[in-house]
Amino acid sequence: MTSVNRLLSSSQRQSFVISATAFLASLLLIALLSILLLILVRGGAYFWPTPVYELTFYDQLQNKQKTVYAQQRQRTDSSGEKVWQVDYSDENSPYGAKTLVEAPDVIAKKLAPESAQINLTDGRAVLAEPVYLTSAESADIPVSEYASVQEKVHALTAKIEDIRETWLSDIHQKLAELDVRNVDADAPARLNLNASFDRWQSEIILLEQRRDAFQMKVVFASGASWQLPLSDIDSFYFVSSQSLWEKWAMALSSIGTFLTESPKQANTSGGVFPALFGTVLMVFLMTIIVTPFGVLAAVYLSEYAPDNGFTAAIRVSVSNMAGVPSIVYGVFGLGFFVYTLGGSLDDLFFADHLPSPTMGTPGVFWAALTMAILTLPVVIVATEEGLRRVPDGLKAGSYALGATKAETVLYTILPIASPGIMTGVILAIARAAGEVAPLMLVGAVKFAPNLPIDGEFPYLHLDRQFMHLGVLIYDGAFHSQTDAKGSSMMFAACLLLLVVVFVLNILAVILRTRLRKRYLL
Amino acid sequence: MLKLFEHETLDVGNLADQDTAIDVQALNLWFGQKQVLHDISMRIPKNRITSLIGQSGCGKSTLISAFNRLNDLYSGCRSQGSIIIDGRDINHAKENVSRLRTQVGMVFQRPNPFPMSIYDNVSYGLRLQGIRVRRQLDDAVEQSLRDAALWEEVKDRLFEPAHILSGGQQQRLVIARALALKPDILLLDEPTSALDPLTTLFIEELMAELKKRCTIVIVTHNMQQAARVSDYTAFLHQGQLIEYTDSDTLFTMPDKKQTEDYITGRYG
Ligand SMILES: Nc1ncnc2c1ncn2[C@@H]1O[C@H](COP(=O)(O)OP(=O)(O)OP(=O)(O)O)[C@@H](O)[C@H]1O
Ligand SMILES: [Mg+2]
Repeated sequence: MTSVNRLLSSSQRQSFVISATAFLASLLLIALLSILLLILVRGGAYFWPTPVYELTFYDQLQNKQKTVYAQQRQRTDSSGEKVWQVDYSDENSPYGAKTLVEAPDVIAKKLAPESAQINLTDGRAVLAEPVYLTSAESADIPVSEYASVQEKVHALTAKIEDIRETWLSDIHQKLAELDVRNVDADAPARLNLNASFDRWQSEIILLEQRRDAFQMKVVFASGASWQLPLSDIDSFYFVSSQSLWEKWAMALSSIGTFLTESPKQANTSGGVFPALFGTVLMVFLMTIIVTPFGVLAAVYLSEYAPDNGFTAAIRVSVSNMAGVPSIVYGVFGLGFFVYTLGGSLDDLFFADHLPSPTMGTPGVFWAALTMAILTLPVVIVATEEGLRRVPDGLKAGSYALGATKAETVLYTILPIASPGIMTGVILAIARAAGEVAPLMLVGAVKFAPNLPIDGEFPYLHLDRQFMHLGVLIYDGAFHSQTDAKGSSMMFAACLLLLVVVFVLNILAVILRTRLRKRYLL
Repeated sequence: MLKLFEHETLDVGNLADQDTAIDVQALNLWFGQKQVLHDISMRIPKNRITSLIGQSGCGKSTLISAFNRLNDLYSGCRSQGSIIIDGRDINHAKENVSRLRTQVGMVFQRPNPFPMSIYDNVSYGLRLQGIRVRRQLDDAVEQSLRDAALWEEVKDRLFEPAHILSGGQQQRLVIARALALKPDILLLDEPTSALDPLTTLFIEELMAELKKRCTIVIVTHNMQQAARVSDYTAFLHQGQLIEYTDSDTLFTMPDKKQTEDYITGRYG
């Protein structure tokens, strides 16, 4: 550096510093933008329709040539060779198989406009050419009738569900009551119920037979045919012959599915709604918990605490707490909140459920509490920063009008510091929404059967485990090596997580701007 | 010398109890180890304007802040002696400072309106006292703004933020804010130092009007202002009260050499 100094004049030195900083800043910006771009492209690709090809290739594992309908998901280059990651369907694995095909093994490849991507209700997809539809009465309904035929199937399904829910469950309940009252096995009431149960059951079987008679006949690239029950089919698209407009429509509908449905096939298809919901709920709960505690602590530290070494030590430890690895908070949450606090709550209030724990198990409330502890330093530091910006003249003005200290804090200091408080909350939200490791210890799971909020009393189930976008991404990263689709779902979830953090931030920033305007000095 | 209101001149060196608003007795005050006020004794007359003059750092602000115990805000502040207001020693540890500060209003050098609406600024003190009746607040706000000669200028925008007002308007706003509590004593710490001459004149006229209903103590660096508006003037030097008498005497034939040097601008 000294030699550089000697070489350059002072103005040159200055411009050297400026260009060096500008260079580093733009480097950082480029790095940031490429991360965003990667997530945007890879995440967006999950929703964009992938064309279906008719692919003839040599299968190295089975030592034979195959012709299949296939979608190629991704191209990877390993040691200079092109390798195609391919999803295909044929008569041996109609519900989709995955394989890697090296470039020399590809014998022929052409777009297959006649083939469709048939999405099943369980999240899997079949790639095949729909030929015609069949029903109990007729064996060759044209595929163009799909919508009206599928409507009949849905009607039948609804009828079956209706019988199950209204009649069968009613009979079950009555039978259970008879059991409780120890009614004889051959009492007339019981026999009656059994008889009507059998009647409804056979009705259901009849309806199911009628429903399952509706089928779609499809043909694979090899010429073999296959029957798919219509009730298993969610939708189908002739991806290879879509216009741009239709592609957009399909992409939008898959975004809709992604946002509103539950994951299927072990988090590799379907939607992420429970994770989205869980993330937002956890962040919301955390905000409600951390804001009052953080603000109270900051107000105490900067307005009430004596100005001595002890306060300074507390302040330093608060700042240092922000640097503690998050997994430590996770362990603390598990050890203290879940086992100790939750365990004691169980002993006190849910003793009759023991040994199976009620509160003493990871759940969304403990997760929110752990995240609140984790983000507390951020809120305290930002709030103190905001409190420091309140001019002494205003405090004096408030005291001079007869306000006590508490009144001055409440009516003058806190409103003026509120933009600073919001800054802390924004940072806390961003941090909590993105954490994964501590959450996995205290309540976030790969798959939760129920949402933490439902129609069942008490509606908000704070003890339930929940799904979280970050955990889903983490899970997706493990699928990515074997399952291309799982990996792109990971990117899509990443994109969504970014959007969630962005939206939550925007909301908080808008609020802060309004507060700033209101308490402009 | 022009006086806006003429009345008999009292001898502040020998003031009767019923004419006294603030009776300072042997006041000593320290910030940490540093003694800022030295053995100050003075009687400030009722319904008159008394000004405090002196070099920067001589303790003027500290002295008037002692009258509403605002020095309490600084943890290192310690004082001895008594200050009798309304028959009680407000320097006593058991004094209810919140109540005291509603009786002794204060306006600071730089206008410090709260970041709230004009209405909320003026009603701040009343709302602290638990007054929530809208009608009562409305009336008090209007009356205080009229008293501070600001009503005509802001009556159509009471609910707009106070910071949109000009500096002079803001200073009158904080005067109105203090007046809303109907204080017996109004302390003004260099209230016009940030204002232009015309606005200054405006505030001076306002003070002359206000002294009918309260005692005013004003700190100023402006000799002409002290001579113009105040009935009595006290000169402080390094925390000591050098001379305290009626303004006419102090500015025309001061008793002490130090006073003369200061008012003729030979130092300070
Ligand atoms: N909060 C405080 N802590 C420590 N010392 C203080 C404090 N406030 C004032 N002082 C000291 O007390 C002395 C008197 O200060 P004061 O503000 O009363 O002066 P002043 O006469 O009002 O000056 P000015 O004309 O500049 O406003 C100064 O030396 C100042 O340094
Ligand atoms: Mg001062």
